Amino acid sequence: MLKVFGFVRRHPDLTHDEYRAAHVGYHNSYGRRLNNIRGYVLNVRANAPIGKTLGLLADQITRNESPGFDDLWDGWGQLLFDSLETYLSAKTPAHDKAGPRGLEDDARVAAVGGDGPWLYAGSPFQFMVVEHVALAVRRPERKLFKLTQFATQQSGLPAELFRSYVSGRYAARLAQLPGLRGLVMNFRTPLDVMSKFFEPEAQGFTASGIAEREHFYGSWDCMTELWFDRAKQFVDGREHTPLSAHLDTLESELFASVCYREVDETVVVLPNRAPAPEYYFR
Amino acid sequence: MFKVFAFLKRNSELLTHDEYRAGHVGFHCGNSRRLKDIRGYSVNIWANAPLAPRLGTLHDEIVRSEPPEFLDLWDGFPEVWFDSHRSWIEAGTPEPTRAMAGGLQVDPDWTLGDGPYLFDPLPDRPTEFRSCHLHMEEHIVVPVERPEHKLTKLMLFFRRNPVLDEAAFVQGVLNHYAPLTGRLADLYGCTLNFLDTDQEAAFRNYYPADAWAFSPEGYAMRRAFCALWDGAIELHVDSVEAFVLARSAPDLNLQLCAAERHLFAANWYVEVDENMIVMPNRGTAPSFYYR
Repeated sequence: MLKVFGFVRRHPDLTHDEYRAAHVGYHNSYGRRLNNIRGYVLNVRANAPIGKTLGLLADQITRNESPGFDDLWDGWGQLLFDSLETYLSAKTPAHDKAGPRGLEDDARVAAVGGDGPWLYAGSPFQFMVVEHVALAVRRPERKLFKLTQFATQQSGLPAELFRSYVSGRYAARLAQLPGLRGLVMNFRTPLDVMSKFFEPEAQGFTASGIAEREHFYGSWDCMTELWFDRAKQFVDGREHTPLSAHLDTLESELFASVCYREVDETVVVLPNRAPAPEYYFR
Repeated sequence: MFKVFAFLKRNSELLTHDEYRAGHVGFHCGNSRRLKDIRGYSVNIWANAPLAPRLGTLHDEIVRSEPPEFLDLWDGFPEVWFDSHRSWIEAGTPEPTRAMAGGLQVDPDWTLGDGPYLFDPLPDRPTEFRSCHLHMEEHIVVPVERPEHKLTKLMLFFRRNPVLDEAAFVQGVLNHYAPLTGRLADLYGCTLNFLDTDQEAAFRNYYPADAWAFSPEGYAMRRAFCALWDGAIELHVDSVEAFVLARSAPDLNLQLCAAERHLFAANWYVEVDENMIVMPNRGTAPSFYYR
């Protein structure tokens, strides 16, 4: 499948919680109707700082965090499509609205609601990731604790080996954390998924837009999603245990920098990795 | 929580079953997912392929007295969860969910006005449609966990054996039949629902007193539909074949069949395609906007 991330900063007229309501509310109501979308998860940075959530552990497992990292984003969407072609053709009118003549097109889906200028500051940082599903997530009917790890690869380590080691022996160790419900590694790729998705005049294609994006990309190469019932499960498993010593060693070998953020996950379209049904399905 | 099933027939003058799917899950849910304080929301639409041939020889063992043309009465049913009856009846209260010039605003384009085009229309009431909103008493047998692939969802509808009084029936289903069902192998979830005997519980104060729901035809339709069944069990499995395999376990099947003969006058299955609109959150609601 094609997995695309779009990191966004909120418009300055919105507080973080107002941004949540607008992104989860109106914007996602159109985004979920993108043609042939196969999955859509929105992650909004949690209100509590990570140091409060993880306690002393946060400092112990964080190294060389990029200054001002949180100023660059408030949330990000994760989109799943079958292919680059279906992703690029998703922003077209949706034939999904009942009207007096039967099923009709809704042109507003082509603009994903058209609220971007008031929801975001600048263009999303949008890119494709290659994912490694180390532990397939099964979501219960309650809000989970979702932790994300942002890491840059150790200098001198070729990208191929970095991916191989992280998705191999590091993932195998991380998957041993008690209480883990899901574990997915996402490696950012340079594939251009912006040019035919956003308008040519979008801020993301200006010199300053490109510079901001490249600066953000410098702060991580791999983002790992971890799901638990509660934060304490991660803290207990990662702190002062034999497993934590193994993880410390691997992280020193593999990562030049690593930091963590809790996010509030909205399942806008529950990902369906099985073949698509022949009818409209979300 | 306050749980409602809303059985809805499509506007068959305008839409095929598959067009209804798109209209309901697409535009309609794009608006209804923003109902105030909604805590969970799925839309279940009967599957296109008939179930009986796929159950094979098991069909005659586990299906009894299925009402003929049951699927002619509805095309889909949303299930919604709210914290309380109060939050259910106040769900239509506008709240700001749209970024516009000046910041966060109430969306002026929010509407459920597609209802009469999407659902079974009422010629003399152009803004309304026929529906059967029913409050369900829910019991979780096996908590649902959803993987990232489409599951098969089977609805087991059942009707009380009239030789049992209401209390004996409820106790038998709750304490004997449901735990047995929960032992089926490889379930992703099993939820038991009893129809509230107060058939107006979900309509009252949700629709105005002069709405079709409170007309003689509205009452009559609801009475007739509710006479067909008293409850339903939701089963989440990998496939119909996986269910057949699980249900064919000899000892368990014998016990389930015996319990069905004792408790039910009728029991039958409907496969539905579950569209997840708002992932249910049975935990405490966060203090911020969350779906």
